[in-house]
Amino acid sequence: MSITDLIYLSQKSLRSNILRSILTSLGIIIGVSSVITMISIGTGARIEVEQQIERFGSNNLIVRSQSSSNRGVSMGANSVNTLTLKDMEALKEELPAIKAIAPNVALSTQIVANGNNWLATVTGTTNDYFDLGNWKFENGRSFEEEELSSGARVAIIGKTVQKNLFDTDSPIDEVIRINKVPFTVIGLLDEKGGTAWADLDDTVIVPLKTAKQRLVAKKFPGDQIRSMTINVRSSDLLFKTEKDVDTVMRKLHKISANGNPDFVIRNYAQFLNARQESSRVMSILLATVAGISLIVGGIGIMNIMLVTVTERTKEIGVCMSVGAKKRDILLQFLIESLMISLIGGLIGIALGLGVIFGVSEYFKWKMSLDYMSIVLSFVFSSSIGIIFGFYPARKAANLNPIDALRYE
Amino acid sequence: MGDNKLLALDNIDLSISEGDFVSIMGSSGSGKSTLMNIIGCLDVPSSGEYHFRDNNVSTLNSNKLAELRNKDIGFVFQNFNLLPRLNAQENVVLPLLYSGKNLKERNKLAIEALESVGLKDRVHHRPNQLSGGQQQRVSIARAIAGSPKLILADEPTGALDSKTGLEIMKILNDLNAKGITIVLVTHEDDIANYGSRIIKMKDGKILEDKKNVNN
Repeated sequence: MSITDLIYLSQKSLRSNILRSILTSLGIIIGVSSVITMISIGTGARIEVEQQIERFGSNNLIVRSQSSSNRGVSMGANSVNTLTLKDMEALKEELPAIKAIAPNVALSTQIVANGNNWLATVTGTTNDYFDLGNWKFENGRSFEEEELSSGARVAIIGKTVQKNLFDTDSPIDEVIRINKVPFTVIGLLDEKGGTAWADLDDTVIVPLKTAKQRLVAKKFPGDQIRSMTINVRSSDLLFKTEKDVDTVMRKLHKISANGNPDFVIRNYAQFLNARQESSRVMSILLATVAGISLIVGGIGIMNIMLVTVTERTKEIGVCMSVGAKKRDILLQFLIESLMISLIGGLIGIALGLGVIFGVSEYFKWKMSLDYMSIVLSFVFSSSIGIIFGFYPARKAANLNPIDALRYE
Repeated sequence: MGDNKLLALDNIDLSISEGDFVSIMGSSGSGKSTLMNIIGCLDVPSSGEYHFRDNNVSTLNSNKLAELRNKDIGFVFQNFNLLPRLNAQENVVLPLLYSGKNLKERNKLAIEALESVGLKDRVHHRPNQLSGGQQQRVSIARAIAGSPKLILADEPTGALDSKTGLEIMKILNDLNAKGITIVLVTHEDDIANYGSRIIKMKDGKILEDKKNVNN
């Protein structure tokens, strides 16, 4: 008996009881849609994290000043710049796990060029800033050593600034005025796109020394800086280095181990981990639902197949009397349960896709459809059908033809 | 019953030659059904031997028995035993499915079989759309579709009125005339009379085995 004949006979009997077939596959439907949703959430989270790393660089710690209010006097955010270039040098020296540190100062100010006006964040920093922040150049170049050390009036601008000042024209070698100080544009950064809270491309970058001398001399006097981005050699060292930086900084700033620090260390990996953790919890939850409903669904199939075998005992006897072998009967019932579970799998896939699109549209939660998950669902549902359909099918195949024929 | 062994058949020595039309009679519990099951290769005797053509059936496994039933034996039951979901043609095709005939061939054989029992215009009707007589004719078509050597009819007229019953017996008679061996189980004398040999059974033993002079 060929497979197509078996399928033909199976669909005949499934269609004769279509409501029962669909109700039977309910467990599989829920299980499979959970599997698909689960995998999509997981993949979505992974992709989002990868994108964030792409944007902000990996293995970075950011150290910022923080007003220490434990002395009872809050001095306002702008007036406390507790970080200095000396801190930076000391950290570099003390902690070999640190690969590079990019210091920076920043202000938000008016940029004028080409008769256009634009408010942007101007950052003074070194070339490490580009490597650490994963910045690529669309055009032009980074700073030269001489420009950094002499405090040359050169600037590198982001995509948003270019659009607003120069439209689509090349900004290279053009002069822009930052706080009325003329700067020559030497580079244009690649577009990074916005995040929920900031447009990363709305940026102007100048050498640290230039910024300190000409733009923020009052705000960051001496060797004060706003923050520094610390790049750690490997991700394994990230959390240990965070602790070490804290220890060294406390020593430098003479703050006891349990005193309130005048700096804050932000570990970007923490945020990413939290994001990954929450999607992992969600995935575990869904995996549990999927697992339970697939097993319950499988038992449901087994149950209904046992009923079917009993109902059709006489029919099995007839088939045996006209020459059906044990194998024919076994296969026919196996294919029937396989078809129930595959139908459930198909409906489950459709439902899962609906959930994915619904959730990602409605909650703006990044979800990514993984085609592997569809393959996986098919494998899951068909193996459930075969595993749980086997016992009833074997029971049918082992019927004695005479007893089966006599069954009323 | 209890621990006592009940012999459904006891010391049976019987041979049926090809082309014969044998009626087996007996009251219920006489062993005629068991004898029929053994002749039809549905069961094997617990002791003794049964030879069907060149096969020693007593030694065959369930697959070989199924093959034998499929190729050489056709069953006609009292209650027709058609599959309710399948139409007449599909019911007749069933044994051909198991013998692995291809689609074209088995549909052709099924239509021919239905034609030969006069149901050419009923091929797409399901059993519940057919009268009892028509259902029994479908089941005869199913029995002959694989061109068997032997047809076993177990009370084929039992569920039918006498007029329809006679029609069915005529079909069986015609099949016998074409050379198919027929073994008929019945408890009605006038039905048994279609046979050329009548075997009467009681308590698992053959009571009487004689040529039918009325035929």
